[in-house]
Amino acid sequence: MIKSEKISMSAVEHPPTSAWLIAIAAWFVPGLGHLLLKRFGRAILLGGSVWLSFVVGLAMGGHMFSLATGQGSSQLLQVPPMIANLGSGVLYLFCLLFGAGFSDDPQQAARATYEYGTTFLLIAGLFNYLTVLDAFDIAAGRKS
Amino acid sequence: MRHFLVMMLFAALASVVFGAVAKDTTSERWQYGLKVFAEFMIIGLVLGWILYFIP
Repeated sequence: MIKSEKISMSAVEHPPTSAWLIAIAAWFVPGLGHLLLKRFGRAILLGGSVWLSFVVGLAMGGHMFSLATGQGSSQLLQVPPMIANLGSGVLYLFCLLFGAGFSDDPQQAARATYEYGTTFLLIAGLFNYLTVLDAFDIAAGRKS
Repeated sequence: MRHFLVMMLFAALASVVFGAVAKDTTSERWQYGLKVFAEFMIIGLVLGWILYFIP
């Protein structure tokens, strides 16, 4: 194996610490990872999509999930959607802190846009996971 | 009408993210994004009509 192959393989196997920090920043504030990488176009497109999806979902009266929203064995069922919601980073944590979007209000659930809102909130988190992976790959040099 | 607009918004957001993440060149991203958008819309409309006839 020649030296350049060794170097490139070690770069692939061990991404730099900065790549992990970029990924954490990208998760915590959607779009921040690409901003730190000076990929402004991607930051606006990807981060903007996450923010817009989250805000629209919240405006539609969507519901977010946490371990406290289930009762008994149904708590386990809250875990997968909670993981999706957690992808929104600070947006989810902010709402969790202030209780926005977590109430079990029958009037909220009766809104025509309730299910749409819930889906948009879930999708916002999943979009941000894709954004995190993209920022990580760019920071690790796996993607241009 | 509101349902259709929400579906369009969802398709637009998803196609922007998928297009930006998946491909390498700008033209490929545009093509892929438009393809994903069209797929979301067409499949959504087809499923909507199928469900319309199911009681």
